[in-house]
Amino acid sequence: MGGYGDVQLLRDDGLRLDGRKLDEMRPVSIEAGILPAADGSAMVTHGLNVAVAAVYGPMEAHPRKIQRQDRAVIDVRYNMAPFSTGDRIRPGYNRRSREISKVTAEALESVVLVERFPRSKIRVEIEILAAEAGTRCAGLTAAAVALADAGIPMRDLIVGVASGKVEGIVVLDLDKAEDNYGQADLPVGILPNTGEIAFLQMDGDLSPDEYNLAMEYNFKAAAEIHEIMVDALKRRYEGGEN
Amino acid sequence: MVELVPTLLRQELARLAEDDQRLDGRAQWEGREVSLEVDCLYNAEGSAKVVMGKTIVYAGVKFELRTPWPDRPSQGSLMCGAELRPVAHRKYEPGPPSPESIELGRVVDRGIRESGCIDMESLCIVPGEKVWGVMIDIHVLSDGGNIFDACGLAAIAALRTAIVPAERFDVGEDYKLKVNGTPIMSSFTRVGGRYIYDPSEEEELGGDERIHITLGDEGHLHSLQKGLRGVFTPAEFAEIFDVAHQRCTDLRTLVANQEGN
Repeated sequence: MGGYGDVQLLRDDGLRLDGRKLDEMRPVSIEAGILPAADGSAMVTHGLNVAVAAVYGPMEAHPRKIQRQDRAVIDVRYNMAPFSTGDRIRPGYNRRSREISKVTAEALESVVLVERFPRSKIRVEIEILAAEAGTRCAGLTAAAVALADAGIPMRDLIVGVASGKVEGIVVLDLDKAEDNYGQADLPVGILPNTGEIAFLQMDGDLSPDEYNLAMEYNFKAAAEIHEIMVDALKRRYEGGEN
Repeated sequence: MVELVPTLLRQELARLAEDDQRLDGRAQWEGREVSLEVDCLYNAEGSAKVVMGKTIVYAGVKFELRTPWPDRPSQGSLMCGAELRPVAHRKYEPGPPSPESIELGRVVDRGIRESGCIDMESLCIVPGEKVWGVMIDIHVLSDGGNIFDACGLAAIAALRTAIVPAERFDVGEDYKLKVNGTPIMSSFTRVGGRYIYDPSEEEELGGDERIHITLGDEGHLHSLQKGLRGVFTPAEFAEIFDVAHQRCTDLRTLVANQEGN
């Protein structure tokens, strides 16, 4: 976290700079099946973030050393487009995207019924086209919808959401300024039906009470986003397209 | 070993070509419907999305301040790159840029650069010290055939809507990037023995060599490229050049109409 204490992030009326309430998330919209070449795909717009996910597979797992005899492996690549941020990003993998890819893959492996597809690989490609804080969560949500769109059996969806702390106050869904100058960020991946958590990261400073409140906000937001995910998948199949 | 699908597809495409037909029912020189959207990416200083059949491509323009090359102290720079990321098709593998993506980026780059639509001198802020570097990044999200034309179109449309972010870099007020012209690419692939315009994914898989032609506003050639194994005759080129001229004019109008909105 940036942690500069002198930037005002809450207005005098108690609302946030963009007018949101403390426990209000940015608008979210989701569309499933947007990429014709992929087996499954989704686009998540979360505030100004735009995340696209494509799923290919299950397919043969190679190189062979990644094969698992008893289950499928999920190969995730999280990538930010060079034009997705204020300053251009050099194309290619970096340490941040590698780490996010790894923990996202592990989260998805926790819900996909990987034992149904031994020795195979499921490729999940997450592309961030526009970034405004919260891209790993938008990417995780997009990946879950894309997997469902690809018809891959899962125990549950995963919803990516984050809460954090600004000016000592816990708030839901940090935007860019709050992420840069806030005091904590708690992104999680929630299984909306079971209430379990498959993705967890945090940085900054939270008291146990603040953690509990942030998590409460996250679960509330996850329920809202879950409805939007289900709706996107329903629209996809009610439309009659394959 | 003979690859089964391309071989069968090749036979079918040759059979159709005898009757002057294409797999998706198009005429020989007929393109797919093109949809173009500009200013569609937050954070990019210029952006465009192109959809052509199953092909989806985004382009974004970013600027950076840099010191000019010593031999060209009063000139900025332009760079155009394309990424064929694994998101776009199951045939693309992760890893360092492939020869295909390098070719794609360089062909699009040449068409824009050589058309002279960007005056490099206009990108100079302080001669010898500070110039703008303009970077066009092309992101192929779905490869449904003929990504070259889609990338070329997205790149120039994004460039033409770009705003120079001078305020953010503390060098004056933001202003619209001056772009003098709209170079457009047209691509042809030999399918079933004869050339067709705007190949689909199947036509590329079961086809032979391809030719890319970029034309400027005056109808001048700015970039040519022949890709893949195969040869062509001057008469064949003359024929596709005429088609390219017409298609480039149509697409240039499409870009102009988008900007008007």
